[in-house]
Amino acid sequence: MVDITIRKRPRTEAVVTQRKFFKKTARGKVIKVLRERYLRDDVGCGIQSCSSCESSGDQTLPFSGDLAHNSFPDGYFVLPDTNVFLSQMDLMESSLFKAPIIVLQTVMEEVRHRSIPLYNRLKTLVRTDEKPVWVFYNEYRSETAIIREDNESPNDRNDRGIRKAAEWYNTHIGLSRPIIRGQAKPKIPTVLLLTEDAANRKKAENNGIPVSSIRKYISSFPESVAAQLLDLLSSQDDNEIEPTRAGGKQAIYPEYFSESILQAGLSTGRLHKGHFNANTYNYLQGSVSVPAFPKPVLLIGRENLNRAVQGDIVVVEVFDEAKWGVEGDEVVDQEATLKNDDADSDEDEENDDITRQEAKAIRASDSAAQQREKQPTGRVVGIVKRNWRPIVCHIDATALPSTGATSSTSASTLSTQTLLAHPTSTLLPRIRIRTRQGSALVNKKILVAIDAWVPTSRYPDGHFVRVLGDVGGEDAEREGLMLEFGISYGAFGSAILGCLPPEGDSWVVPPKSDDNPVWKRREDLRDLTICSIDPPNCQDIDDALHARPLPNGNIEAGVHIADVSNFVHADTPMDTEASARGTTVYLVDKRIDMLPALLGTNLCSLRPNVERLAFSAIWELTPEAEIVNVRFTKSVIRSKAAFTYEEAQIRKDDPNRQDELTTAIRLLNTLAQKLKAARMAAGALNLASPEVKIHLDSAESSDPIDVEQKEMRETNSLVEEFMLLANISVANKIWEAFPATAVLRRHLPPPRTNFDKLKDILQKRKGMTLDVSSSGALADSLDKCVDPTEPAFNTLVRIMATRCMLSAEYFCSGSVGRDTFGHYGLASSIYTHFTSPIRRYADVLAHRQLSAAIDYTPLHASLHSKPHVERILEVVNRRHRMAQMAGRASVEYYVGLALKNRGDRQQVTEEAFVIRTFRNGLGVFVSKLGIEGLVMFKRDITQFDADNYTVTIPASSKAVPGNKDVTISVFDKVVVKIEVEKDKNTQKGKVKMTLVHPIDSRAL
Amino acid sequence: MSSSISTSKAEISYIQAGLLSDPPLRADGRGLHDFRAINLETGVAPLANGSAHLSIGKNPHGGGGGTEILAAAKLEVEDVDGRGEGVNGGRIVCAVSCSPSAYPHLSSSALDDLQQDMSTLLHQTLSHPSLHPPNLSIIPNKKSWLLNLDCVVLADAGNTYDALFMAARAALWDCKVPRTRAVEYKAPSNAPGAKVLESGEMDVDETAGDSAANQSGFDTRSIARAVDFELPDYWDEGEVLGGRDRWPVCVTMNAVAPAPASTSKTPWVHYLDAILQEEAATPLRLLLVFSFPPNSIPNLQAMRVLGSGELETAQIRDSVSSGEKFAQKMWDALNAKLKEEDLRRGQKARDRFARR
Repeated sequence: MVDITIRKRPRTEAVVTQRKFFKKTARGKVIKVLRERYLRDDVGCGIQSCSSCESSGDQTLPFSGDLAHNSFPDGYFVLPDTNVFLSQMDLMESSLFKAPIIVLQTVMEEVRHRSIPLYNRLKTLVRTDEKPVWVFYNEYRSETAIIREDNESPNDRNDRGIRKAAEWYNTHIGLSRPIIRGQAKPKIPTVLLLTEDAANRKKAENNGIPVSSIRKYISSFPESVAAQLLDLLSSQDDNEIEPTRAGGKQAIYPEYFSESILQAGLSTGRLHKGHFNANTYNYLQGSVSVPAFPKPVLLIGRENLNRAVQGDIVVVEVFDEAKWGVEGDEVVDQEATLKNDDADSDEDEENDDITRQEAKAIRASDSAAQQREKQPTGRVVGIVKRNWRPIVCHIDATALPSTGATSSTSASTLSTQTLLAHPTSTLLPRIRIRTRQGSALVNKKILVAIDAWVPTSRYPDGHFVRVLGDVGGEDAEREGLMLEFGISYGAFGSAILGCLPPEGDSWVVPPKSDDNPVWKRREDLRDLTICSIDPPNCQDIDDALHARPLPNGNIEAGVHIADVSNFVHADTPMDTEASARGTTVYLVDKRIDMLPALLGTNLCSLRPNVERLAFSAIWELTPEAEIVNVRFTKSVIRSKAAFTYEEAQIRKDDPNRQDELTTAIRLLNTLAQKLKAARMAAGALNLASPEVKIHLDSAESSDPIDVEQKEMRETNSLVEEFMLLANISVANKIWEAFPATAVLRRHLPPPRTNFDKLKDILQKRKGMTLDVSSSGALADSLDKCVDPTEPAFNTLVRIMATRCMLSAEYFCSGSVGRDTFGHYGLASSIYTHFTSPIRRYADVLAHRQLSAAIDYTPLHASLHSKPHVERILEVVNRRHRMAQMAGRASVEYYVGLALKNRGDRQQVTEEAFVIRTFRNGLGVFVSKLGIEGLVMFKRDITQFDADNYTVTIPASSKAVPGNKDVTISVFDKVVVKIEVEKDKNTQKGKVKMTLVHPIDSRAL
Repeated sequence: MSSSISTSKAEISYIQAGLLSDPPLRADGRGLHDFRAINLETGVAPLANGSAHLSIGKNPHGGGGGTEILAAAKLEVEDVDGRGEGVNGGRIVCAVSCSPSAYPHLSSSALDDLQQDMSTLLHQTLSHPSLHPPNLSIIPNKKSWLLNLDCVVLADAGNTYDALFMAARAALWDCKVPRTRAVEYKAPSNAPGAKVLESGEMDVDETAGDSAANQSGFDTRSIARAVDFELPDYWDEGEVLGGRDRWPVCVTMNAVAPAPASTSKTPWVHYLDAILQEEAATPLRLLLVFSFPPNSIPNLQAMRVLGSGELETAQIRDSVSSGEKFAQKMWDALNAKLKEEDLRRGQKARDRFARR
């Protein structure tokens, strides 16, 4: 036992022991916060077998430091200043950066103060096992603690603290390795202070502290290492090295307002804050949805977009109404307009060309804007939060100087080139990077991080992070996709796998006995005729069903859901990981699991003819499908069969089959039809989204061969209805039990203005009206939008209507008013997700809450905490959205591949609907392939009527057969030819569509 | 309202006789115009913006006895919107509370009265416009500081008022106002939105002669733009409260008359720093509150008569002029001590830390 003596600290030492600071609260009050500081002499330096520090065995820094650097033959440690972490995090994280790192507490605190995302990355870096990193609590060690002087700025104080710690380390290492007579002189490693701040460097030099700038430090590595590391350097320090570049350049963009002005503007309501959405069709336009206006604020032109990047949270200033404009009616493609722009050419004459071209594009839309209803228009005046994730890009081969391309082995490759990286997404601007390995990057998918976007530069500056693989390689494409949507796809760590049952895949439900905890209060439903119906090749079966007539004429129906919460307990590493992943992501060729595969596809999966643990919801329903009562219980089931939708359908429709399973399916089906009818009567929407299926050739080569649309069978709807029923019943139960923290799901009714455009188009083109006053009215009017000659038309309208709606979200019942619980699309007053706990984390939470609601297990404390539930659901909502987008992107990619395959054999022509008209093109939707595309015309020969959504090609054009003008309008059916064109320079496959009927657009 | 302890008539006359004799005799052997030892320490309450602990006549070894006051100044943000009490330029509210252990003989209502009386005197004196600190404003017409000066009488061994004012002066001297920066919204004038239009085909009369057209529409309105404030440096205690050297001190002139039967012509005898028994034997106490602003004539900020005795104008004049001298001495001594305290807590502490 260590004796603890607490000595009263005299007030005379207050200046040392107390740290006081002020804090302004959200309500505008100022409070003074007081922190006691206890200085100690035993804060360890972290160097292994240091003779002066008490050893606790967890020191991470190697005794002799890093020996790989030319300038420090005796070894060294690096001690980075805050600015190094703020600007060069990629470098510090790189596995190539092997030097042992000492992170000071002062630095940690400063990083946290400056940027929370970077702070989180720093924390991960500190925790990592791959690198020697040590956090030194310099503010608590008596030798390195400092007090702020009078008239010293906080920055200067911290810099002084960092220098003091660096100085101390160097002395400390020297002292702890005394020269012993008769032995070789001990090697004394250096502690090198890395800082980008020239003034700090100077002061350190004056104090005799070894110090270097990052660039200088890296440059003196052996050349091969240096080249790779230098690429990772963020470009922020370019100006320091090449001051000439910064001078005399004309600003292309206006400066952002200062932070305080933004705050003031926001609080007075003169500025507005929102997410920036780039326009898919026109890179010179974007919009920001703000609460103050019913319509999003439009941003037109490069200056007004002012360096906003898709997803950023920006602050916009809205112009006077006189200057409001309308959304552009033509397609402006970055690739085409800026084709010849060179990465270094911010000041070239060419530049004026671009400006002129862009100005022309804007003016054209200006003049057309006169007649149409105007939209609030403004400009970006500040950025609240950048959403700069690593971006997947290609390098344009033509941008490379020819010397670099040919003599890739010569030393000249080490010279830096400035290149433009082309992001795969059209929503993102091109990024300027400086690299020494330019020629090696051609034809590769690479990951690029944006560092900064200065007003004098047309493009943002970034740096190369790493190569993903060859362009077109499926692995590279897939990894790129996952990175782009922030999906964590790493293997599960050992801590997580440690949470699995030790028996592994030989785990079975233990034999029934009263004293076995697994069987405790579990119902034995093994004898019920239960079956599951899923898509083909489904491995994670999380639901199964049963139905049987009761003696009283009613019907018992049951939904049995995999009992995931029996395996995944709150507050375990597996739970934490699952909550961070939020959902399983389905890509065409890969599934990224939320839970380890052992659980997802085996122990939890309700496979046929094995005993499995389940969570059952069992209803007594009248033959008219009205609920008499419902109960929930934990159970053990043995599924009798696992059908695909198709198999179940065939079985049901086969009149010769009268076995128990088939009758159960028929019974379920009748009930489901009645349930659906009741739901539709209540005003549920029948929405549609383009869903296609990709046929993969075989398991070995995943080359897709064909695309077809998903078929909807009766049995799909059967399963869906019962899942909805279960979800609604569970939602009611858990909300009753935990009114403050129940995990629910809602779908807010869309603002009416969202439908304005669709309503207008329908009215003008088809003479149809859309009633959006309620979900029921909308459902009715959608049913009436039928073109007898064109069955697909209704689906098209439904897809377009779906796009006008908001997305559903998880929420914590205590966080919003009861009147906003409703699910608009399902026309249900309450809803949750309960039925897929293997692949959705929200369902796991619902399971835990339901299990507590039926007194099976006590509820974990975290699920009683509203802020905790809110925080988790926020993550889950985001993950859910990202997973959907990733899934869609994956389908898109494979549709492209399939088209290419088909196109190799024959020309692909498909029927398509026009969904949008532009002055110089058409937006079309190919329903058979579920893809949207663009058909471009040559400008200036068409007559564009924005009000009536039509484009007319005059008879004078040679493309027009006969002597009549050809008018194409929204909802017209056209025939397009689809080709996949590989960009020669970027190797990026691009779907290109041309019009075949009514005119041939190639002849235009 | 009396804080005096009960004293027998014999005791009173004994004390009075002692004070009137030549040479005067006081229980603790002091001269008429001698103070007991005064102890002062500032910065005692770390969470306050300024604080002081003052004692008069405290036993230097055992620590017992003596009058003890704790004063703390705390700043609070107030809206100046007419709805609350906040006023433009800030305000000061003083309150005195008496520890019941300091007055074990008083009932709680009597204690309330006493506190009320002390609070009123302190508040009326210190919140007078002539003493108002210049830097209590945060944003004109929007937000200002409310300075709460709270004093606690921890023990009363006589001469509470002098101690109270000294402690208040020390706490206010020590008080630091957090630095604030007004946050305002002003669109920079070269709005690029205008630029775009210039290059386009804009109507001539829209731009001609109308410079406002080139600016953001927000610029034309002329209302106070600052709406909020921020703390530019939250580690910093702030700047000293303005006018710190104007805060006044109080001198209590205790007066005893030679004989009860004598006429009012006979001069009263003044003495300072009465202990409790002396206070009980003193028929009249005159509180004089002086401020000595630098480079200017002294100000009599407040005057108060306590007790049943009567004074004539001429006597008051005499008392004031001699009181001013005593106050000046007290002022000088206090200032020296306050500066010493500043040094002790600032530079010296840092030096001690560096030498460690």
